[in-house]
Amino acid sequence: MKRMVFGALGALALSVTAAVAEYPEKEIQGIIQWGAGGSTDTVMRSVTPHAEDVLGGKVVLQNITGGVGAIALNQVAGAKADGYTLLMGAENPLLYKVLGLGKKDYSDFIPINVLARGTAILVASPDAPFDDYAGMMEHIKANPGAVRFGSTGPGGLPSVITAMIESVEGGLDVIKVPYDGDGPALTALQGGAIDVMPAVLGASIEFIRAGSMKPLAVFDTEANKNLPDAPTITSFNAGYEAHLPWGPFFGVFVPNGTPDDVVAKLTEAYKVGAENADFIELMDGRGFTMMNISGAEAQDFLTNWQQGTAWLLQDAGLTKASPEEFGIARPAE
Amino acid sequence: MQAFLDIMTIFTQPQLLLLVGLGTFAGVYVGAIPGLSVTMAVSILISFTFSWDVYPALSLMIGIYMGGVYGGSRTAILLNIPGAPSAIATALDGYPLAQRGEAGTAIGVTTVMSFIGGFIGIGVLALAAPFVSDFALTFQPRDYMLLAVLGILLVGSLSQGSLVKGIFAGALGIAIGAVGRDPLTFDERFTFGLPIMENGISFIAVMIGMFGVSEALLQLHHVNKDAVRQKIDKIVPSFATVKKHLPLSLQTSSIGVLIGALPGTGGDIAALMAYDHAKRVTKNPERPFGTGAIEGLVAPETANNAAVGGAFIPMMTLGIPGDAVTAIMIGALFIHGLNPGPMLMIEQPHMFWFIVGALITANFFMLIFGLTGIRLFTKIVEMPRSVLIPLIMLLSIVGAYAVNNAITDVYWMLGFGLFGYFMRHYGYPLGPVILGVILSRLLDDNWRRAIISEREDLGLFFQGILTSPLSLVLFIAVILIFVSQTPIWHKGKARLLGGKAA
Repeated sequence: MKRMVFGALGALALSVTAAVAEYPEKEIQGIIQWGAGGSTDTVMRSVTPHAEDVLGGKVVLQNITGGVGAIALNQVAGAKADGYTLLMGAENPLLYKVLGLGKKDYSDFIPINVLARGTAILVASPDAPFDDYAGMMEHIKANPGAVRFGSTGPGGLPSVITAMIESVEGGLDVIKVPYDGDGPALTALQGGAIDVMPAVLGASIEFIRAGSMKPLAVFDTEANKNLPDAPTITSFNAGYEAHLPWGPFFGVFVPNGTPDDVVAKLTEAYKVGAENADFIELMDGRGFTMMNISGAEAQDFLTNWQQGTAWLLQDAGLTKASPEEFGIARPAE
Repeated sequence: MQAFLDIMTIFTQPQLLLLVGLGTFAGVYVGAIPGLSVTMAVSILISFTFSWDVYPALSLMIGIYMGGVYGGSRTAILLNIPGAPSAIATALDGYPLAQRGEAGTAIGVTTVMSFIGGFIGIGVLALAAPFVSDFALTFQPRDYMLLAVLGILLVGSLSQGSLVKGIFAGALGIAIGAVGRDPLTFDERFTFGLPIMENGISFIAVMIGMFGVSEALLQLHHVNKDAVRQKIDKIVPSFATVKKHLPLSLQTSSIGVLIGALPGTGGDIAALMAYDHAKRVTKNPERPFGTGAIEGLVAPETANNAAVGGAFIPMMTLGIPGDAVTAIMIGALFIHGLNPGPMLMIEQPHMFWFIVGALITANFFMLIFGLTGIRLFTKIVEMPRSVLIPLIMLLSIVGAYAVNNAITDVYWMLGFGLFGYFMRHYGYPLGPVILGVILSRLLDDNWRRAIISEREDLGLFFQGILTSPLSLVLFIAVILIFVSQTPIWHKGKARLLGGKAA
């Protein structure tokens, strides 16, 4: 019976559109929002071969960078919604509208899989005259306008973390030195050009292990298993609990209007691909928390993330337009 | 001893040796095609070698890297289109040599000098990596800024003829580099609200247009002139030639290693700085610079290949990429289950020595592939112009498109080609434009970082320069080089040295 139904469905699909029947019948293009060698790139290049095995097709990956990822997003949004163009992105598009970087975001897309989430950590140069978050706050209060924080532009992880600190602690009188990415900023931290950097845990973990930077606080409610000794931010101030867990994430998306069966096939492929033991081990090693969610669950996650972060930035005065204008509701307290 | 055995790993496994060779061969040709970059090739290889072991994957990538940096010189010499940004300075004297019918000699010298430079880079990596990387880390934003200013002063040596026109061209380049969303604040600059400008102007597109298309247009003036016959009897430079240029190549290689090891700068800036250095220290070149001076080939080619070894220094010792290619290799190591970082060299020293071994092998392969097949290559320039000109145009269009797979880049490329043609026509040098574009962000970003770090206080900024030995040395170098290019210096020198200068 089941086989008959599937057969009938198959025949129907074949008669409606031939392309869908045997999806994928040609190479799929995977557009990576960020440059080669970065976190998003590494994650996507590691999971995609496993997904290809399930899909029985080839996904050709390509990095299209620029405009904080907006170039790639707009390109995929403008492509045919047939499942042959995938967007492999990070969290940034959810802030495009409020930061005036673009008119489209993930609401123009169907999430195939939100693969994993990163954890933020506050690291300092080993020579810094404080050893943890509490010490840093005291030092900043005693020496206003002297501590140098690294930043990566509006909407980047450091801007959200500093907005979070300002929202919980009140003002934060520090110098914010801009870098074009957390890699160069972490290099500058080791060279002494900046004192403190809010970074993603995975990018700083090897340096912490080697002692070339020290962790001040992990921005999570519970200790990270990769750095069990680093204190959580909530152990210093419970006020952070309202904003956590928070972190950058990686996901695979297709434009709205993609046929349901194609979405189902891709969802299945990336779900199984993300369960691969090698991939999980790699993600664990880099300090990412596996999520592997899709469908309504992924949609809810995106909505919550956008509401929380957009309003945090709005309250810190970092936005160009209020989230209200785009129908982004303030999260319930 | 163990280190030596690890270096030799590659020679005991024919498969690895073959992969390095294959990579180097592919690299030479990928590098020769403008727009196809080593960065791109290596990132494609990450997916391609995903299921391989880490050694074979690295062998192939290192081969491509070494071959690609060298390969950029090919089209620079033969067609005046640098295959890669690091070959811009090579075109300045390489192309005039090809026009004299000495492309074979130019390629020969380039190959041998790249080989020497490559070795010096690898040598420093193997022997002094921790020392160099510690030094590279001490560069503060203000030092990068001073380095960029030092680079801007090259305008003087890149502009033949009118210095004023050179300064105009350099300023234009800096302005072009600033177009688009500011990478630090994401604000729009010089975009005039046009979406096409938002992503900035691709530097590679400007380079290909200015060199390639303008050259093709210029050649149209003498379509009917016969192509230059190329002498290819003496390709390998004599030992005497190599020996003569050895002191210079040692100096320029050192520049290459250091600039390569700095996390914010790479082979392109290294090659240009080395060219400038050569121009300053060479008292009596056989031919003036810009018309086919051998020193003008020696300097950039030793420097950009030395920068390869240099770029691996912070990567291997600190887990910090020295340039775009090593950034991707760090990603590749992650995917293969390694944790590149400061602990890699302590926990897995064999990986370090394996990479040194692979680089040495790639360097030898580069020499072999570089010195063979020259006859075939020089045939390109011997083609009739009615074939050559469309070929240059085709190569330029494909190259510009390949950078980002964006048709916009092709329009920019053609636009700047046309603009470059008129600039050349009216005696404006093109070198400074490219220099300006390359240095624009280095200068802009680091000036802002430096001044923001000092709470926007100019007094504190200069206090920082004067109290840091490194900044002070760079600052004095900037002043000396600037003054040495002014008439006051020459007058003063003549007066001091009296009869000798006259």
